Amino acid sequence: MKLFNKYNRINIPLTIVIFIVGSFLFYFLLQKILIRQLDETLKGEMQEILSYVQSHHQLPDIQNTREQWTTVDSASIPPGRVMKRDASWFDKRERELEPLRQIIFPLHIDGKGYTITVSKSEFETEYLLKLIIGLTIAMIALILVCNFIVNRYILKKLWQPFYQTIESIQRYKLSNANALTLPKGKIDEINTLNESLNEMSSRANREYSSLKSFTENASHEMQTPLAVIRTHTDLLLQGVDLTEEDLKHIHYIENSTQRLSKLHQSLLLITKIENRQFVLSEKVEMEEVIKNYVSELEELLCAKRITLELETVPVYITFHKNLAEIMIANLVSNAVRYTQAGGKIILKLQPDSLSILNSGTGGGLDDESIFKRFYKAHNTGDGTGLGLAIVKEICALVNFNIYYQFDQGMHKFVIQFQDKVSHA
Amino acid sequence: MKILIVEDEPAMNQSMVDYLTTMNYTCESVSSYQEALEKVELFDYDCIVLDIMLPGGSGLNLIKVLKQDRKTDGVIVISAKGALEDKLVGLQLGADDYLTKPFHLSELSVRIAAIIRRRQFNGQSLIHAGDITVNIEAKQVTVNDKVLELTQKEFQILLFFLANRNRVLSKNAIALHLLGDEMDMADNYDFLYTHIKNLRRKIIVAGGADVIKSVYGVGYKLQLP
Repeated sequence: MKLFNKYNRINIPLTIVIFIVGSFLFYFLLQKILIRQLDETLKGEMQEILSYVQSHHQLPDIQNTREQWTTVDSASIPPGRVMKRDASWFDKRERELEPLRQIIFPLHIDGKGYTITVSKSEFETEYLLKLIIGLTIAMIALILVCNFIVNRYILKKLWQPFYQTIESIQRYKLSNANALTLPKGKIDEINTLNESLNEMSSRANREYSSLKSFTENASHEMQTPLAVIRTHTDLLLQGVDLTEEDLKHIHYIENSTQRLSKLHQSLLLITKIENRQFVLSEKVEMEEVIKNYVSELEELLCAKRITLELETVPVYITFHKNLAEIMIANLVSNAVRYTQAGGKIILKLQPDSLSILNSGTGGGLDDESIFKRFYKAHNTGDGTGLGLAIVKEICALVNFNIYYQFDQGMHKFVIQFQDKVSHA
Repeated sequence: MKILIVEDEPAMNQSMVDYLTTMNYTCESVSSYQEALEKVELFDYDCIVLDIMLPGGSGLNLIKVLKQDRKTDGVIVISAKGALEDKLVGLQLGADDYLTKPFHLSELSVRIAAIIRRRQFNGQSLIHAGDITVNIEAKQVTVNDKVLELTQKEFQILLFFLANRNRVLSKNAIALHLLGDEMDMADNYDFLYTHIKNLRRKIIVAGGADVIKSVYGVGYKLQLP
């Protein structure tokens, strides 16, 4: 729900309630004032009659009109004091009961008591009240509508910088190395928001680049001693009177150096993927990547007497070429490594998925831990234990879905491309 | 052949000098940017082996200086930074090749040989080794004037051996040379055995001497008298 709608949802009912209550109060107040005014008129009439009687000692000749008339009652006993009351009369012309206001007071002329009743129709008052209330309601409605429209327009304008800020944040990428530069506006809140975001993004960028250079420097620092070990092992290998035993040691040193180097590269790669240092903008032809890799494998497969069934169609994915190659290499080499001599590997590339099946002894592997770092089902000694973890990381980065199954004596890895396939 | 080695890590520097010297190259070595700058301004080299991170400056700057001075020295950049950007920048600036640490000395040797060959003969050189002759341009190998039918990989292995004559090459070094670092296959050497067996057989069938020797299952060696 938009803030404006949320605001209106509270504001409009509340305004209506206030106006309704206000209207009632206004109505009663106005009525009271009008009645009092009516009473004043009646009192004036009474004073006039009283002063006339006092000076002339007889009842005045009273002119009755349709709105106001006076009756004199000499039969009943006059009341002890002045009374005011509401009454009604039947208007023959209009054929309806009309409210009226009366003042009743006693009058004594030469010891004889009269009851004088001055009545005044409330017709006019009623009319005035209706007019005023009508006008008021019309005005309130007008104010409400205007308010709604103006609010809508103004709020939209006021929130404009906020929406711009949101748009900038959505476009913001840590790997772009550019901090946010949100503009300074006229509104304090937006200013504070923009300033905080600018500050936050530049801090994030700083930390990101320091992390990046840290991993790169760590790589440098670790690869250098490895390089020294490797080159000196190469030199050691050239010795003239080496025994078979010596060579075996050298061989182990060499292999371990290779593993260490590979291990380190893999860890560095995972860090880079996690840091999102790869930009996924290339259109990669997966069929080509697979065929290239498989062609390199021929001799290896031959040596292990593994048959490879390859079924591919052209598939284009918005990806990173290097990552695509690493993903394929890790999956296929993993299959090759764990396939027994004389076994079979099936590679199937379909428009929406890639499956790699390889024959395996024993049962299925734990599909939970198989993608974990340094997980090894069999202690074969070679392999870094990071291959599948890297594949998993790449899949997570590109939003692929990967899962493992053991089916009819075959280990099966399936990658679903989701909506990443682009149509060439 | 004169080679300049620019590397600040002494043990690394020394190993390269040792190996390349036995390959009959004349090696000079320095360990800082300043020394390297002095050397390249005074002398011409067939190939410069250049580390990027040096005390006193970046190796990449040295390439810029070389290009400004219109020097034609071949340059191999060696760096522990596998970062793709460095590699691209290096090659864009005009380096001839790029090697990521850790590398095998035999790999360095074969890269240097390729650069020198390209620079001196425009690639049209013949390599002679005993009764084997290799025409790089035509990718043709002859033994006693008989043409060998070699696969791509066998040809690659032969060139690798020729650039590292009489040196023991570990299986790991050969596998890395063939497959590259990314292949993740380098710990499986079965395929290598097949390649080398075939190469040896083809040379012997053509009447050549059996110059490729196995070294106790650790590696191989191209042995020439």
